[in-house]
Parts: sequence; structure tokens; C-alpha cells
Amino acid sequence: MNIFQLLTKIPRQIIFLVVAIAIAIPMIVPIGMPVNVMPKSEKLFKAIDELGPQSKPVLVSVDFDPQSMPELYPMLLAIMRHCFARDVKVILMNLWPQGPGLAEMAVSIVPAEFNKEYSKDYAFLGYKFGVSAVLLGMGESIRGVFPTDYYGTPLDSIEMLSHINNYEDLSLVVTLSTGDPGWRQWLLYAQSRYGAKLGVGVTAVSAADVYPYVETGQVIGLLAGMKGASEYEVMVQRSGYSDERRIAVQGMDAQSLGHLLIMILIVLGNIGYFFSRRRSRRQK
Amino acid sequence: MNLSPEPLVWISAFLTLCIFSFLYRDNILYQFAEHLFVGLSAGYLIAITWHNQIYPNLVIPLFQEGRVIYIIPLAFGLFYFTRFIPKLAFLVRLPIAFLIGWGSGVIIPAVFQRDILRQTQGTLLVREAFEKWDTGLWAIVILVGVITTLIYFFFSRERKGIIKPAANIGIIFLMIGFGASFGYTVMSRISLLIGRMQFLLGDWLGIIR
Repeated sequence: MNIFQLLTKIPRQIIFLVVAIAIAIPMIVPIGMPVNVMPKSEKLFKAIDELGPQSKPVLVSVDFDPQSMPELYPMLLAIMRHCFARDVKVILMNLWPQGPGLAEMAVSIVPAEFNKEYSKDYAFLGYKFGVSAVLLGMGESIRGVFPTDYYGTPLDSIEMLSHINNYEDLSLVVTLSTGDPGWRQWLLYAQSRYGAKLGVGVTAVSAADVYPYVETGQVIGLLAGMKGASEYEVMVQRSGYSDERRIAVQGMDAQSLGHLLIMILIVLGNIGYFFSRRRSRRQK
Repeated sequence: MNLSPEPLVWISAFLTLCIFSFLYRDNILYQFAEHLFVGLSAGYLIAITWHNQIYPNLVIPLFQEGRVIYIIPLAFGLFYFTRFIPKLAFLVRLPIAFLIGWGSGVIIPAVFQRDILRQTQGTLLVREAFEKWDTGLWAIVILVGVITTLIYFFFSRERKGIIKPAANIGIIFLMIGFGASFGYTVMSRISLLIGRMQFLLGDWLGIIR
């Protein structure tokens, strides 16, 4: 077996091991690669940055499960920090049954950093089954869909929700979405039907699908995967809103090295394939 | 190194390593973690469906508040189970018909608005797009991309004359789109690994902060 044939037959276990090492090393010894902010992420940041204490609340829908945490959870923390730093009220909810635990994790961390109080500065509506009915119902009456919050308190008893009836009473809806139900449904019902202003954070796998909607302005801004999360963390820190640990930024060194390694492997694999095919043709 | 004293972190780390062991080959530890995950997910979903959906939206209004109109959704739900009784199996058509009718009525206009009207509008070359040279250029690229890609999927005429080169340009746009999607997919999968590595090296082993 020559070198070119060898390149096409590297055992997958070796590839996994090399990728794992390439990702672990920059975590232990950070390189500190710069994070460039993309315009689509900046648009979402600016949309929240324009808000203030007198603005209507921002609704953040935590539409993901623990599998997507590395990409979407840092977005959730950064967006909540940004809102609280701007004294903007936040409403959290879920379209995924696994979401409430993740939203509660964020709620246990971020509000305390800014001395924010439940019911006055933020509220958590929890999860509701039946996506279409939930999103359409919220366009008519949020109270009708969520008579109580996640903890069983009637919505009328929650101070910041006393004047909130439907999407018109929100500054912005941000969905952090890993698939269906998620950004497509928010776009379909809340944005297209009720005209809600929509920002989207998605896993990188879905990012290419959202681009056309950002171009048309149906989605006001997009955070794409861990890169988008790191960009938002950087913008929040640059603006002096928070100095907390930036999980996504920490992961971007490993991300870059992982990409570089995969590019090298793709090139090597193709070189091996090309030359071994040429050799076998010559032998024939 | 600063190992975590939390038993839950250790359980989580053990299950993560069980799943990673599949990268070498299928084994009993991987199967254990996989079956545990499937069982837990199913149990969690059943519990949350009961507590979050059936109990507050059906049991309370019908049996505690006595609102008899809720017999209709209860009956519609039960009709799904008539599939198991051949003589009554036709009843399953009622809830299915209701769902299809309601779903189509709600979704078709919204999809038309989201994907056809607004997207077509976004493709048009309007004066505002040419206020800067770069946005104008991208507007033209988008227009050419949309038209040539649509021509590629136009199968009612033989590919010759102007249609052939236009369809070939459409293929280039499609390939660039697929490449971008694949690149993002790689990014996403690497992110998942990074998340687990952050947990193993940080929360469990305490090597990174």
C-alpha cells in the first residue's frame, strides 16, 4: 500500500483521536484568537441596545435541549445580560419540553449579577404543548395561553406582566432555536401573521436556512452557532455591560483549530483519492 | 487538577464517556447509556405531557370545573385509539380530518406570506439596494442566483439554448449553498464536542476554568 492509498484509509479512530486532541489543547492552553463581529449578529445586538428602562419587555424563547447547549446557552446568558444591563425587562418561555431546566439554569445565574427581581424585572412562563396553538394564541392573548407562570403564579399577580396582552406589547421576540419547533414557527405565526419583531439564534447547522429571512428583514438579526454566541459575548463585554466568563469565546480557539484540522483532512483525503485513482487507471 | 466533588457531575462524566466509547466501536457501556437516555426521555415526555397538557387542559376543565363541552376534544382524542377496533376504525378519520382542515387553513396563508410573497419581494431590485455599491452588487447576485436556480428546477423544457447555461449557473449557486450548509454542519458538530470537552476538562476534572 503506497502513501496515497494510506491517506484514503486512515482508521476513523485515529481521526477521532486527533480531532479530540486538537480541540482539547487550545482549551488548556488558550491561543486567544480574535473574534470578528459579523453584521447579522450586530443587527440583533443593536436592536436590543436601542431599548431602555421604558421599553416594552423582550421575550426570549428557549427552544432547545441540552444537546444544543454549547451553541445556544451562551447566547441565552449573553442576551439576558445585555437586556438586564440596559434595564430591559425579560420574559422567558419554551417551546421544547426540555427547555425549562435550561431557562431556570440561566435564571439562577444572570439576574443575581444585576440585582434583578423576579416578577418586577423578569418572568418565566415555562413550557406549553402545541406549538401552532401556543404561538397563534399568544397573538391574541398571552394570558389565554399561559394563565400562570412556570411556578403556578397567576399572570395578573406578576407586576411586569400586568399590561402585557400579546405580541404588540413586546419590543422584540428572540428565539434560541435548535430545530422544530423553533424559529420557523415563530417566523410563520408571530412575525408573518402578527408582525412581531423577531431575532433568531440558531445552531450552526440551521444558520444557512435563516439567511434569506435576514436579507428580507423578516428576521432582524441572526446569531449563528457558537461563533454567533461568541460575537454577542464580545459585543456585551466591549460595551462594558458584563465581565463574566465568556463560554463561547473560550470555545472559539478550539473551534478554529478543529476547522483547520478538518480542512487538512479533507485535502489529504482528496489528494489520496485523486492519486490512487490515477495510479489504478495507469495499471489498467 | 481540581476534581469535582459533585456525584451528579461524576455520573454525567461517566455517561459522556460511555457515549464517546462508541467512537472506538459499539460496546455494552454505550448501549447502557443509550438505553438509559431513551428510557428517561420517554418517561420525561409522558410525565410532562400529562402534567402540562392533559391534566390542566382536559382533566381540570372537564372533571373538576364541569365544563361538558370538553367532552368533544376528549372524544376526538379517544377516536385515535379506535384504530385498534376494526369495526370502529373509521372514526379515526374525524380527528385527522379536523387536524388537516385546521392545519391547512392556518398554515397555507402564513407560509405563502413568509416564503413566497416576502421572499419574492426581497429578490426584487429596488432603488434602495443601489444606494451603496456592495448592497447593489449583492442584490444582483441574489437575483441571478434565484432565477438560474429556478431554471435548473424547470423540467418542462429540454435543456438547450439559453436554458442550458442558465441551469449550469444555477448548479453553481446550488453547490455554493450546499457547501455553506456543510461548513455550518461541521461547525455545529465541533461545537457539540467542544461543549462536552468543556464539561469534562472544566466541570469534572477542573483542568480549565
